[in-house]
Formats: sequence, C-alpha cells, structure tokens
Amino acid sequence: MTAQPASPPQALGDLRVLELSDEKGQLCGKLLADLGADVIKVEPPEGCSTRRIGPFYEDQPDHNRSLYFWHYNTSKRSITLNLDTPGGQQLFRRLARTADIVLESNAPGAMASRGLGYDELSRDNPRLIYCAVTPFGQSGPWRDFKASDLTLMASGGEMGICGYDLVDDPDDTPIAPGGGNAYHIGDHYAFVAILLALYNRDLRGNGEHIDLSIHEAIALCTEGSFPEYVMTGDNRDRQTGRHASALGSPPVQFKCKDGRYANCFIPRITTEEWLRLVEWLDENGVAGDLKDDRLLDPEVLRGEMGRVLDAVRSMCTRLTADELFHGGQQRKLPWTVVRAPSDIVDDPHLRDRGFFVEVEHPELGKRFTYPGAPYIFHGTPWRVRRRAPLLGEDNVAVYHREMGMDLATLNALSETGVV
Amino acid sequence: MELGAVLSKGALAGVRVVDFTWVRAGPQSTRIFSMFGAEVVRIEWPMNPDIIRLGSPRYSAAGVTPGLDTNGDFNNFNCNKLSVTLNVRSPSGLDLIKRLIGISDVVIENFSSRVMEDWGLGYEQLRQANPAIIYVSMAGFGHSGPNRDYDTWGPAVQALSGLTFMSGLPGKPSAGWGHSYMDHTGGYYGAMATLAALHYRSRTGQGQYVDLAQVDAGCTLTGAAILDSTVNGRRTDRDGVPSGNRTHWPGTPLTDTYRGRHAAPHNAYRCAGGGRNDWCTIACFTEEEWRALAGAMGSPAWADEPAFATLLQRLEHQEELDRRIQEWTIDLNKYEVMDRLQAAGVPSAPVQSMVDRVENDPQLQHRGAFATQAEHPVIGRRIYEGMPMRLEQAPWAIWRHGPLIGQDNDYVLRDVLGLTAEEVDGNDAEGVFWPRNMVRKETLA
Repeated sequence: MTAQPASPPQALGDLRVLELSDEKGQLCGKLLADLGADVIKVEPPEGCSTRRIGPFYEDQPDHNRSLYFWHYNTSKRSITLNLDTPGGQQLFRRLARTADIVLESNAPGAMASRGLGYDELSRDNPRLIYCAVTPFGQSGPWRDFKASDLTLMASGGEMGICGYDLVDDPDDTPIAPGGGNAYHIGDHYAFVAILLALYNRDLRGNGEHIDLSIHEAIALCTEGSFPEYVMTGDNRDRQTGRHASALGSPPVQFKCKDGRYANCFIPRITTEEWLRLVEWLDENGVAGDLKDDRLLDPEVLRGEMGRVLDAVRSMCTRLTADELFHGGQQRKLPWTVVRAPSDIVDDPHLRDRGFFVEVEHPELGKRFTYPGAPYIFHGTPWRVRRRAPLLGEDNVAVYHREMGMDLATLNALSETGVV
Repeated sequence: MELGAVLSKGALAGVRVVDFTWVRAGPQSTRIFSMFGAEVVRIEWPMNPDIIRLGSPRYSAAGVTPGLDTNGDFNNFNCNKLSVTLNVRSPSGLDLIKRLIGISDVVIENFSSRVMEDWGLGYEQLRQANPAIIYVSMAGFGHSGPNRDYDTWGPAVQALSGLTFMSGLPGKPSAGWGHSYMDHTGGYYGAMATLAALHYRSRTGQGQYVDLAQVDAGCTLTGAAILDSTVNGRRTDRDGVPSGNRTHWPGTPLTDTYRGRHAAPHNAYRCAGGGRNDWCTIACFTEEEWRALAGAMGSPAWADEPAFATLLQRLEHQEELDRRIQEWTIDLNKYEVMDRLQAAGVPSAPVQSMVDRVENDPQLQHRGAFATQAEHPVIGRRIYEGMPMRLEQAPWAIWRHGPLIGQDNDYVLRDVLGLTAEEVDGNDAEGVFWPRNMVRKETLA
C-alpha cells in the first residue's frame, strides 16, 4: 500500500473489497476506494475489458493508458487471477476469507457456477457483504437479456424524457445522455446498498447479499414522471434542455452572444426580484413595455411570462453565457451556463473548494489534474491515494507479502495462466 | 404509538435522523434512510413548507382543495418519514430541536449556506451538545467558495457540471436531461456521505461534518471527458461531441465520444405505433452481435455489402445503416424488436415511458419496483416507488404514506422528547407547534 503514515484516517479505511467488475461496477469500487477502502481489482490475466475503452493517453491504446480506466479506478490495487481455473478459484476463495466486501458484475449465476457465489463464500466468511450489480437483477424474465448503457437508458425510462421540442428535432429522437450514466445510477445505489449492509453488520454482525438491478435503479430515478403518472395517468414528453412535461412548458435554455447557452429558468418570483430583473433587461435595452407598473402584481406578471421570456432571450444575444450566469445569480435567479466538461477545469469556485486533485503517474514521470471529491468529509477526508493500478501491479504485494505465497509459486502460477 | 415496533426493522433500525431537507435532493437522501428503517423526523413549519407539499395542482388529490397534505409527489417522496412542526424561530422551538438533535444520530439539511448557522444550528454549534453527531450539508454550491451563496436547482447543476452538454445531437442545442437528475444524484451522495460517516462512527464513536455540493458531485460524472482535456488537451466542445445516441458521428474525426466502446449500429429506431415512445434501441459491440442482428432481420442482402463489413465501415456508413435497420423496426412493436433481438443475443431494449414501466415491464413487475401500495388519508390508496437493491437480511419496506404536516408531533414530543401533557399544551398555546394565525390542518375535514 502507498498510504502515508501521516495521513488522516478515512471513513472506510478498515475495509477490504474484492472488485470483479467491468463498467457496471467500477464507479462503486472507486467510491469505496477514495473513502479509504482497500479495493483490490481482480482482473483476468489479459486485463479488465474496461482497460480497452478510450480515450487513451496520447491517443495510444494500451491497457495502462486508458483515461476512462484511470478515472474509474483511482485508489484501487490490481491483481490478476484466472477465475476459470481451479487454482484461480481456490486462490479467490482464500482471498474472499479476508474480505469485507465482494463487488461483482458478472452475469447472474456466473460466480456460483465457479463455486464463488455468495452461498459458497459466506460459508467461510459469514460477515461477508456480497454485492452483485447486473443489468436486470438476479432473477426475473429479463434476467439474461443483453444490455448496454444505451439500452438501459432506454428501458429505464431516461430516454423517453430526454430529447427535443419538435421544432428543434422534427425526428423527435429520444436521447440517451452520454458519459455512462446508466452505470453511474446503478453504482450510486450499489454503494448506498453496501453502506447500508455495512452499518447493519456493524451493529448486528451479519453479512449480506445485495442484488442490484441497474434497470430498476434508472426506472426509480426519473423524478416527476412517477407522480405525474400516479396522479394523472399521463406520460411526460421530452422538451429541449428542460424537464419533460405532460402539458408543455416554456423554454429555459437560450443561446448567448458567445455562442454558448445559458439556462435561464424563472421560478415564481417576488415583486422585488422582478424589479431587479426588469431593471437588468432595461440596462440591456430589451425591457420594452415590460417596465409597466401593472406587472408589479405577481398575478399579472405570471400572465406575461411569454413576453418576459422573449426579453430574456433577446438579452442573451447581447451578453456572454457567463455574464448571464453571474448576472442572474447576483439578482437571486438560479441561472447557470451550459458548460462542456473541458470548461470546468478553470472554474474558480471549484478551484477554491479544492475540487481538482493532482495525481502522480510515476510510470510516466508525470502528474495530471483529476476531478476530485464529490463531498468534503471534514473528519475523514476523501482522497485519491494512488492513480489507477497498472495491470497486475499488486500481484507481489497481495499474493507474496500479504498471503505468504513464495515467489517461485507465484511465478509458476503466472506461467500456467492462473495469475 | 406503534411506530417503535415498525422502526425496529431494517438496516438502519435505531438510527434517528433530524431532517431539515426540502424540495428534492435532500428528501431523496432521507427517503433512502426511511425506506431502510431509520426514524427520519422532518422538521417542518406550515408557514414555510417544503414547496413540494404545494407543488403542481396536477398532483393534488382530486376533489379536495389543494393544501399542505394533498400532493401526490410529496407523498411518494416522503413515505415512511415522520413530520413534526416546530417553530425554529421561537426559543422553545429551537430548544426542543436542540434536545432532539442531542438524542439523534444524523442532522441533514439542504438550505443555502449559513441558514442553519443563523438559527444556531450549525455543526460547530451542535457538536458541543452531541459530539457524535453526523452533520451533512447539501447546498448546491457547497459551503465554501466564491459562489457559495448562489442558488441552484437540478437543471442548473446539470448545466454547470457538463452533464447537460453531453446530451444531444450535433449541431443542435443541448437536449440535456428531462428531469432533475442531479437532485436525485445529489441525494444519493448525501446518503453515501451519511452512511460512510455512520460506519466511521461505529468504529470510533466520532461524528463529523460533511459539506456536499451538488455541483461538485455532478462534476465527477464526466471524468473521462475531463481527463481527455487535462491530460490530452482535447476540448469536449468539438465536432461530433455529443454524438446523439451513437458512439461516433459519421463525418467527424474518429475520436472518443465518452460513450464507452465504439459500436455500430448503436442508436434508437422508430417502431410501429407512431407514438413518441415507440422506439427501440439496438447496440452491437461485436461482429457476432452484428451478424446476429442481420440474421434476426432476415439476412437482407444489404447487410452483406462491403459498406457494413467491419466496425469502421459501419461507423462511417451509419446514416445508411440506421436507415436500413429502421426500415425493419418500423413495422414491429418495440417489445417485439427486443424479444427477437434478445433471442438472437443482440443488446436491445425499448424506449419505455412511465406508463410502460409501470404497466408493461415484466421485469420491473417481478422486482416490485412500483408494487407497494399504501393508503393516504387525503390522496387515497396509491402505488409508491420502491428501491432497486434487494438486501436479503434487511429489505426495504414502505409502511406509511408521506406524513401529513405535524402528523407525528405527539410521538416526537411525548415519546421521543418526553414532554408532559402540560408542557405540550403550554408550548402549543405559545404557537411553538403551529402558527397561531393559521387554521390547523386546514385540508383535513
């Protein structure tokens, strides 16, 4: 381990996790690892398939140069182990006796068929928390269906509510937001589930089997769609850059002078807030006849929101998106700017909060800026302890130094393809 | 009260949460706790209620004047939680809240920064009374940094964090997200922070403060794109990004679009029916899956053309590829497409509407995602959203509707805080539990 003795304690610093996971469970492993858990990624000898997902460092595909892999595997260790060999299965059983958590995303039944399911592993380690993250869950009619990020965003209901007004996309294409969010949603719930089981174990001592369905996780993450259905029976229809709606709602996303877009949602505002907004519109020469005392009555103003939005749309063409963002916020409107991920790196607010972290890559002799903590723990800080592991980087540490296997045996297992 | 018996089950049995959250993100966190047996006590005040209680009249119970206890959205999002009305601006109310916190495990709030401090309920102020307290703040921009006084809601966070940008078709404005994704997700991170801190407290007895900003959490979710920028110097706002539902937009440079592996076909296709959700997705990641798709479509001659022979060829010729595939899907029901393709081993799933998910999805029915019903005194018998994780030893459960405002005053004041009847009546007369100028329980006949 690379933990420094002077480092403050971490919330999950007492835990050992075995992660057998591709894109379906890797974020959950990262969330555990960055809060201090010793997450050992157990990879097949050729490496986890996610090492082959781009983008790559300097665009050179290599199992140690995937930026995608780098992001999702910070603070973890890597060992190689062929779970399809009897020797590999035996070694895994030994490892699992030392683990608090097994996190796996194999097809339902695959681990059990190797003798490595929850029932087998918990016999030797009754306190084990075993979390299986799969597209549809361990049972049910769709259990064995093939899925991907795209298909899960479709079946879970995300795509049906994400897309465009017909004027913007006459084809009416349902859109799956990019970036792997089907797995993010699944893994957020998986991590919560593991922590729930952990607290239960802290108090009552029992292990746990967790069956997490990504499909179901997405289906339970669509906000107003559910009450809309329960209370009205209606679906919500997708609209450009804003909430889907059963009845339609006014646009909020406008193009600005610099070509970027601002999100200019106007909630129910007070007369005081309206006075600030109309003054701003007037400063930019777009208030027109909105400077009318009759609009000081909130009821009247609500009836004129179409004209207000037209004026805001005009103002956007005269200001940059950042001017809209900060100008709106200074007037207590929750306006923001649509940023590309590469815009975020320069954000002074995030920098002030210490969001970005510098991560050493000794194998390259370089350090790079990574997105950092989703939460600031004041007592037990979130931390990237090490960059994502090179393939099999920790074989000697785990098998030899921690499990006591002599190096000759380790070499022999390497040559026979077990390790 | 039988609450004690109900709350003795679940992974979080015995955990008491003082819940100052409102709207969406915070209540998402505490809904997870309440589904797993924690005693979640919402601190409410009818003059400044959770705006979801007064949400769209569309979600209000039919035939009843909309009020604080009539909203179906609030009902679902706050099931199993308790509600106590306490005036934090009165000395007695504040004292009772502090006493409650003194015997609780968690304080969680999602006000703008400094609201709790102004009430005397900041972490530093509370840790003296209860050093083991876990205190989670969930302001949109967090409690430090130059923008900490800015206001957010879900879509505002999504826009700032790059999530909105990553959703859409090239050459068009961002499609973004059709809901407050970052309110849900901020809520998940609030739950994670609380639970991780609870584990640490189990080990050491020490509580702590967690400053969670939804903006920060959102900015961790586009990591590969951020690293492509910080490591490779490649901007995200470039030709071909975002790439619609595809992994690559033909005619643009073949770079990574942060959708995982390159694959083609990889899109949504119109199906029979003509409705807005009559679409089915298909994604082929291997040659085997592509050949299986061709077979399922009846092995049309076009599929053997050289233009579709390799992944690179298919990526380049996606316009024609997608048009051809849609000529096949357009006559089929979206579930029929999925069934045929899954039988052939091809990843495929229909675009499901909310109605589909509740009524037409046998997998969600098997999991019981929307199966639990509970009776609400005003709204009636309704279904509720479940949880997507099955814990064998400690399953989630829904045992009660979202609380009527102040519904649990008796339990909290007498059973939890141990007030005598005289103390309750005295404070009540002072307006500590209900504004004196407001009709009590106006919506309850």
